[in-house]
Amino acid sequence: MLIFLLLASCAGIVFIKNVLPHSGGVIIEVQGKVTHRYVLGQDRTVRVESPYGHLTVEIKGKKVRVIQASCQNKLCEHQGWVSYGVIICLPARISVSVGGPERPGDKRIDATSG
Amino acid sequence: MAFNVQRRISSRLLFGLSCLLGISLLSCSSPKETVYRKSMVLMDTLVAITVVTNSADRAEKAMDAAFAEIGRLDTLLNFFSEQSELSMINRNAGLSGVRVSPETMEVVEKAIEVSEKSGGAFDITIGPEISQWNFSLKIKPDDKSIKKLLGLVDYKLIQVDKARSTVYLKEKGMLMDLGGIAKGYAADKAVEELKKKGIRSGLVSVAGDIKAFGLKPDGTRWRVGIRNPRSTEASNEIMATVEINDAAISTSGDYQRYLILDGKRFHHILDPKTGYPAQGCQGVSVIAGDGVYTDAFSTGVFVLGPEKGMELLQRMGFEGLIVDKDGSIHTTPGLKGKLEFTTNH
Repeated sequence: MLIFLLLASCAGIVFIKNVLPHSGGVIIEVQGKVTHRYVLGQDRTVRVESPYGHLTVEIKGKKVRVIQASCQNKLCEHQGWVSYGVIICLPARISVSVGGPERPGDKRIDATSG
Repeated sequence: MAFNVQRRISSRLLFGLSCLLGISLLSCSSPKETVYRKSMVLMDTLVAITVVTNSADRAEKAMDAAFAEIGRLDTLLNFFSEQSELSMINRNAGLSGVRVSPETMEVVEKAIEVSEKSGGAFDITIGPEISQWNFSLKIKPDDKSIKKLLGLVDYKLIQVDKARSTVYLKEKGMLMDLGGIAKGYAADKAVEELKKKGIRSGLVSVAGDIKAFGLKPDGTRWRVGIRNPRSTEASNEIMATVEINDAAISTSGDYQRYLILDGKRFHHILDPKTGYPAQGCQGVSVIAGDGVYTDAFSTGVFVLGPEKGMELLQRMGFEGLIVDKDGSIHTTPGLKGKLEFTTNH
């Protein structure tokens, strides 16, 4: 009985630690819905389709870029490599969010104006 | 006797461990405040909402309510939607007043207020001029076309009847464009929705028009980056950062929508007096209590240029950062020590 109570206490602490949210990675959304999730650091190229167009996204090292877009103005392609932030293709309704790993004392930007 | 002592020790040990288990269970059932984020494309741009709460359910409901409110405002204020109240006002220019919702009335009235305070540097009747430009297709109107439509650009020709809730454009051909004020207004209204749903700390970003309130779980304020107007790559994208809470920030820049012709940049922030892109600044960021004002005044200050723009900011009691046409940075005195510039600025 005593051992059971001790184990239950420890299990509670472990459970709490494991449900804390993780940070970092690449999240791709199509029309506001998450369709792809990747970790940074594993290189890959992904084609993302939406009813309005498509993007080809390259993840290399700890950075992400759009290498090909179906939209006319190609603003998302011109944005280049991003290590933290969001690349958006409005015509295709696709967004690529890139979050770096949190480090102690890291002064993360919550939003960008401009 | 020995058996009674042993029983007493076991009871106390059992009681102590039960307390320990109870504390652990209490920790499980009282989750700490967490940051939740969600984004959607609304108002033809990316809207990102961040909230701080100890309930995932409350976060979801609050963010959905805020997004719904922004979507609702878009149906009223969208220049490109034929069904919007704005489009109805524009279609009836020179013909009759149009009855509008309280929200549209509020945006128009505040726009007129900013026009008056900026001496016409901000003017929502810029519609006929800006409609001639297409920055994606690199279409620039000729000088004759620009001059021809200037007579239709005058905020004093907007007639507002509060008693009847109508807005009337006095001249046929006039067009109101709320692109310079609607996103800041939407950020304000979205924050109101979050608060109604019990959120005490959060941030709403409608493109670069941002409203933040409360503090993050670690007790710090919201950290906003200001974009470098001449950024060439991700590493120099942010020029400076500022921390805010219970405040809004907006930025107008010549890099947001533009075309280059014969080596010259033509951007979307037109001077209502000339019909041509204003020339004095690369970027202007304004910090004040409400997004509706930061959005509109960032445009007005941009058009006025660094000197008159700075005077306007100080007259209004707002804080601001102006990057002039040569790349020099000017800030209001109140921002001294509050801006953190990146190493290459």
